[in-house]
Amino acid sequence: MSGSVADGAPAGVRSGAGRSRHRRRGSPKSRGQRWAPYLFIAPNLAIFLLFVIWPALNGFNISLYDSTNGRTFTWAGLDNYRDVVTDEDFVAVVGHTLVFVVCFVVLVTATSIGLSVVLDAQRRGRAVFRAAYFLPVLLSPIVVGVIWNWALDRQVGLVNTLLDLVGLGRPGWLVESSLAMACTIFVGIWIHLGFYSIILLAGLQGIDPSLYEAARLDGATAWQRFRHLTLPLLRPTTLVVVILATINGFQSFDFIYTLTGGGPVGGTTLIVQFIYERAFESPIRYGLASAAGVMLFTVVFAVTALNYLVGRRSEAI
Amino acid sequence: MSSATVGTPRGPQWTSTGRPPGLGRLLRTVGLTAGALVVIAPVMWAALSSFKTTSELSRRPPALLPQTFSFENYGEALGSFDFTTYLINSVIVTIAATLLTLAINTMAAYALAKYNFRGRDGLFLLTLATIMIPLQVILLPVYEVVSSLGLVNSLLGLIIPAAATPTGVFVLRQYMLTIPDDLIEAARIDGAGEFAIFRRVVLPLCVPALAVVTIFSVIWRWNDFLWPLVVAQDESVYTLPVALARLNSQQVIPFNLVLAMSVLSIVPVVIMFLLLQRHIVTGIAQTGLK
Amino acid sequence: MRSRVHWKQAVLAILAGVCLVVLAGCGSPGEEAAPEPEAQATKIDPASFRGKTLTYVYFTDGPDEQATRKLIARFEQETGAKVKLQIVAFDDLETSLQTRLSGGNVPDVARLDTIFPYRDDLIDLSQYFGAGLKDQFLPGPLNGAIGDDGQLLAVPSDLTMNGPFVNVAQFEKAGVPLPTAKEPWTVDEMVQAAEKVQQANGTDFALAMDKSGHRVSTILSQYGTTLISADGEEALDPAKGGKALDLVTGLLRSDKLSRDFWLESGSRYAGANEIFLAGAAPIYLSGNWQVSQFAENATFDWAVVPNPCAERCGGFPGGKFMAAFRESPNPELAAYFVEWMNRTESQRSFVKDSLFLPTRKDLAESGIEYASRNDDMAVFQKDVEETPADSFASVYSPAFSGSADALVAEIDKVVAGREDVAAAVEQIKQETSELVEDTSR
Repeated sequence: MSGSVADGAPAGVRSGAGRSRHRRRGSPKSRGQRWAPYLFIAPNLAIFLLFVIWPALNGFNISLYDSTNGRTFTWAGLDNYRDVVTDEDFVAVVGHTLVFVVCFVVLVTATSIGLSVVLDAQRRGRAVFRAAYFLPVLLSPIVVGVIWNWALDRQVGLVNTLLDLVGLGRPGWLVESSLAMACTIFVGIWIHLGFYSIILLAGLQGIDPSLYEAARLDGATAWQRFRHLTLPLLRPTTLVVVILATINGFQSFDFIYTLTGGGPVGGTTLIVQFIYERAFESPIRYGLASAAGVMLFTVVFAVTALNYLVGRRSEAI
Repeated sequence: MSSATVGTPRGPQWTSTGRPPGLGRLLRTVGLTAGALVVIAPVMWAALSSFKTTSELSRRPPALLPQTFSFENYGEALGSFDFTTYLINSVIVTIAATLLTLAINTMAAYALAKYNFRGRDGLFLLTLATIMIPLQVILLPVYEVVSSLGLVNSLLGLIIPAAATPTGVFVLRQYMLTIPDDLIEAARIDGAGEFAIFRRVVLPLCVPALAVVTIFSVIWRWNDFLWPLVVAQDESVYTLPVALARLNSQQVIPFNLVLAMSVLSIVPVVIMFLLLQRHIVTGIAQTGLK
Repeated sequence: MRSRVHWKQAVLAILAGVCLVVLAGCGSPGEEAAPEPEAQATKIDPASFRGKTLTYVYFTDGPDEQATRKLIARFEQETGAKVKLQIVAFDDLETSLQTRLSGGNVPDVARLDTIFPYRDDLIDLSQYFGAGLKDQFLPGPLNGAIGDDGQLLAVPSDLTMNGPFVNVAQFEKAGVPLPTAKEPWTVDEMVQAAEKVQQANGTDFALAMDKSGHRVSTILSQYGTTLISADGEEALDPAKGGKALDLVTGLLRSDKLSRDFWLESGSRYAGANEIFLAGAAPIYLSGNWQVSQFAENATFDWAVVPNPCAERCGGFPGGKFMAAFRESPNPELAAYFVEWMNRTESQRSFVKDSLFLPTRKDLAESGIEYASRNDDMAVFQKDVEETPADSFASVYSPAFSGSADALVAEIDKVVAGREDVAAAVEQIKQETSELVEDTSR
């Protein structure tokens, strides 16, 4: 397929795209119009500055000090950063985080696209299915971890009980490092699948059906229609999902902590747990935790910005 | 062949191999059902097991169904703390916080999407950036701010600080970008004020995004335990997740009570979702991402 | 246009950062030393408390909550003050207190498991009650209540003791006799007995143990060593520690002690009470806090037996403290409350109802009449006397919590085949000394 029907953006988006900065520059504005953006953004910005930016800067500041109780600080300069990087567990933690995030983002995006396409085609009982797949999204991550830790237990878990019935034995899901990581990724997908699918479903339903008609008349098979029509037209929504998934991936902690405790033998300890242990568990070292937090923030910011800019360049946003 | 969908307006038929369409549809339904079962099974299992006694729970291998469907665990879990207060607090905080979030996030997203002002892009990137600050790291500084504003141990302290969600702003902005500028210009030419345009032209077109942010906010606030940890000190301000966290961190974890509490915490959100689902769905279906 | 905006943002951010750094640098890098305890005890007039409110930050292990509420009701009646019990999850205790202390929202009294993080913030109780208050409590638990300069910064409010539970029904079926105080097991005998009972009953495991460095320390103590010495220095004996770890890792590798259970919970604490309750292991190494739960939920005949001996006998202690904060709105009331709650009758009522062990000398001597399971509690009480003094010093050391975690992490690695016991002991010693350094002043 030449891809001539879609150049990466659905018809509506192209004409209405907000990138019309240049056109707007010279047109006359009323006073209300000039003040409007500042007023609109003010409440959000105020809360944002007070409760997010200021504490974040503070946190950045704390990373340059050593503190065991959040009240007395001794200057440490870049020592905390050095300590984080030379921590023997740090390299492993970074590795685990990367593995988890990459696998999670790729797999959850793929499965969500798949699920949304199938759901879109399914007319009967769609609402029921959608509700069913959405159920995990409603759960508290702690509850999720508790339930799955229990379900994956080698001896008493639901999964192995069923597998045993079918004669597939009892694998040690949470006691082998690689299996545990796979389970963690699986549970992560389990949690978010429904949510991303709904977003993608909305995107799918915005695609002009006459495009499919035209393609079918041209002789395209369903798979070709999917690959050359659906996927490209879905790009803006996919980008939203990828960004959300990246963020969720890096932020994953609560369910992992209750699911595996970061084990076995640290095999699923990710960066947020690394930070959590130094900020919440004895012996507390706030400076160290903040330093790791700053590093995490920098990385995720870079990755998210990259995602966003790449997505923008293909005119998807 | 795949011509079975002639005349039907929506979506591609998944009949990729040329088999008769009935089989394709059957496969699809079966696949969806199997998937749905995998997704729901653990939750159902937990719900069923919440009726078991401690000794039943520790039985190896575990039985599928509880011996009796007694509500003993629920009674005991509820009795271990002031359920009504926690529930009311959870409800108030969730609803108020969601409304506040919707209000200020939509306004901010509108400013970022449809206006051109100095520092706009920098602000947007900053918003994106802060999505990734783990609360654990800024817990102490945030507490100090909350405390100096006198919001400690109050419901307002639970509602306000987390309302400026970067994710909400992000999602809303993306949707708003797809609204044609012409609509807004036309309304301006007609003499409508900026806020009126926002309220009457833009907001109604954003329903799917609003729905997404609403669900997001409700789920997060209902299940959040980190904020109450920071802000609440008194039982009068605690929310439901606090009770679960407490049960979960006792030296001897009463797993039967934890299960009961977990189920209790799920039920209201599920009910709310089921009730609103149709509304959310029609909203999404009607407008979609044009 | 865009790049200029970004540049400006960057400059502003840097400026803001610099300002913050300067401002923070102006803050004090440390606090002054705690004040000297006054020679004369200040008299407290309880009548002055009428109508005042006291906040008590508390965490519960289960049965103690009601016991505490009962006592509080009595206190309120006696003094006319009002006590607000603020219950937090144990995991959140330190965070909760630290945020409140840094935010100026200090509670009056708190139940603590360690005074170390707050040692600059607590009232020296001898200021109000004289040097005599100290002497009312057992020397072991007192270890954790004394500050750097000998001040009494807290009162030990309850004691826990580690020890073995046995499934009596299974032992009877296997025909294996239980040990007595006069003829306790050796550690090897305990393991052999467990194996025999396991075989006779076909249970999944021979032993169960909570996944915790604190429990493993029991075995370390029995082999004659401990993680941290009385002087607060790293003190694990490589040979003895090696033997203890050989035992534990051996049991785990052969699945006599559930290997899955140990690895599945990662670095989180996990209690093996459910394994014991399911009858899947005839011996369970835990502590006295399980007694009330077992009394309620066990479906079989069970009992507590004395700790086994290797080089030494006895178990390993734990315990909680009550302390009053200096910045409390009403320090006198706070101190009075702490002392009141730990008087003889108060503590007797508290430990009786919650099935804890007393920390007061007089109660330890006279014994407690528990409402149920008296014999079992008596076994624990006896083990308190058997427990060597360095265990108390070890458990209340500020570095203990971290070293216990390191202990578990290294055991995990050995069980997973990543290193041998000798290397593990080396690692543990190294991490412990680093922790000791970090937490000393």
